[in-house]
Amino acid sequence: MSASVAVTGIGLVSPVGTAVDEVFEAVCAGRSAIVRPPEDHPLHGVLDAAAIGPFIDPESVIPPKEARVVDRSIVMAVRAADDALADAGIEIGRDVDPYRVAVVLSGVGGLATLAEQAVERSRRGRLGVSPFLLPGVLPNMAAARVAIKFGIRGYTSSSGTACAAGGQSIGEAMRILRAGEADVVVCGCTEAPLFPTFADAFGNALALARGWPDPTDASRPFDRRRNGFVLGEGAGVLVLERPDFARARGAAVHAEVLGWGATSDAYHPTTPRPDGSSAAESMRIALRDAGLSTGDIDYLNAHGTGTKAGDSAEAAAIRGVYGDAMPPVSSTKGVTGHMLGASGVVEAAIAMVAMRKGLLPPTHNLDDPDPACDLNHVRGEALPAAVDAVMSNSFGFGGHNVSVIFGSADG
Amino acid sequence: MNSEIRQFLFDSLTVMKYSTADMDDDTVLGPAGADLESLALAELSLRVEDHFGVRFNEDEAERFAAMTVGEFCAEVARRTQTATAT
Repeated sequence: MSASVAVTGIGLVSPVGTAVDEVFEAVCAGRSAIVRPPEDHPLHGVLDAAAIGPFIDPESVIPPKEARVVDRSIVMAVRAADDALADAGIEIGRDVDPYRVAVVLSGVGGLATLAEQAVERSRRGRLGVSPFLLPGVLPNMAAARVAIKFGIRGYTSSSGTACAAGGQSIGEAMRILRAGEADVVVCGCTEAPLFPTFADAFGNALALARGWPDPTDASRPFDRRRNGFVLGEGAGVLVLERPDFARARGAAVHAEVLGWGATSDAYHPTTPRPDGSSAAESMRIALRDAGLSTGDIDYLNAHGTGTKAGDSAEAAAIRGVYGDAMPPVSSTKGVTGHMLGASGVVEAAIAMVAMRKGLLPPTHNLDDPDPACDLNHVRGEALPAAVDAVMSNSFGFGGHNVSVIFGSADG
Repeated sequence: MNSEIRQFLFDSLTVMKYSTADMDDDTVLGPAGADLESLALAELSLRVEDHFGVRFNEDEAERFAAMTVGEFCAEVARRTQTATAT
């Protein structure tokens, strides 16, 4: 067991809102954000269902002169970081040495903007490519933008572990704080995958839900009729601190990160290992890291995207770890869609609010649980429960598995 | 020719979110005046190349930072005439 770290700030951009409580209420009430892309959206006529985040004017978060060729993923990340740092009530330079603050902000990068510029390159040659393309799309630029904006001068990095990257960023932040390499870490993930090439890539790989006349029915984790996930966009940023540092500056603490684990399937680039053994091991490592046993976990927020193979592998993994002493389990992607790596941070925030409110969100659209996903499901209504510790899973293409455990602030 | 180039320069800077209200021929393009940084100067070079069909070397965009609006327009005009002559 190693030391825990404090969560003092949360900032979200999601299809169901930007305020943490608003997001939590949506997932508890089953207020789905999933829509048929409207006529003015790039995915109109491409996908039947998508989870679209709120419009954010790039000039509201990035200097206007630099905001013309900047990907939406970076814009959402900076907005989420603005909110997280404001929530933490910390000013870099005043409250903390800039060299003692780190940034770990991940995501696949600005692929939509890169795709647009590739078209311009084909059309106009060299002169069609903006000099601002690289700072607008590189996957490290969300971290760099946040560092530049807030004068953060410590360690910075980005994880490229696909849909596990949000959970992994929280874990990496914890590792940095435990090692004493920083007092504060701004960590999270941002994803803006809602453009035709990326959508078709997931669709042609048979990963997306299809054939649902009502788009709000399309995302149905663990349900017998599930047939894929619903692509979504969003960003989530947390401010983590060494507990003594947070205490000394009188910061309000949302929750603690108690431990984390990470493993690799070493099996297939996109298909999860069917027996879930590596995913199970990431959960076991997280439990050991937190100094907890399975009986200490009061709620598990599953990765649960709604794919046939992914959900059944995760269910096997959860059952392998917890057996019959299984905590209540739900996936909130039935409402939010799958924000790829950003899901891990948004779901961490949901898990933290679940602890504070003593209320577990259900899995939306879980009408007929698949026998292959035999879990202690929360479905229908939100479930009141005393919650002191929660586990959040995030798994990514490539076979990356991450589990993070949060504990209540007063636990 | 210079007035056409100046108008193109000001139109480009407006698209690039720079205010041209207080600019005149004596305004320096770089940090000492209009405050175009390195990527903005690179973009301005590309726009001029695209519109007037001239070509700048990689290191020339940096030199533009020290030029005034008037000097820059004169330089583009000279290049344009050279390009036309050849």
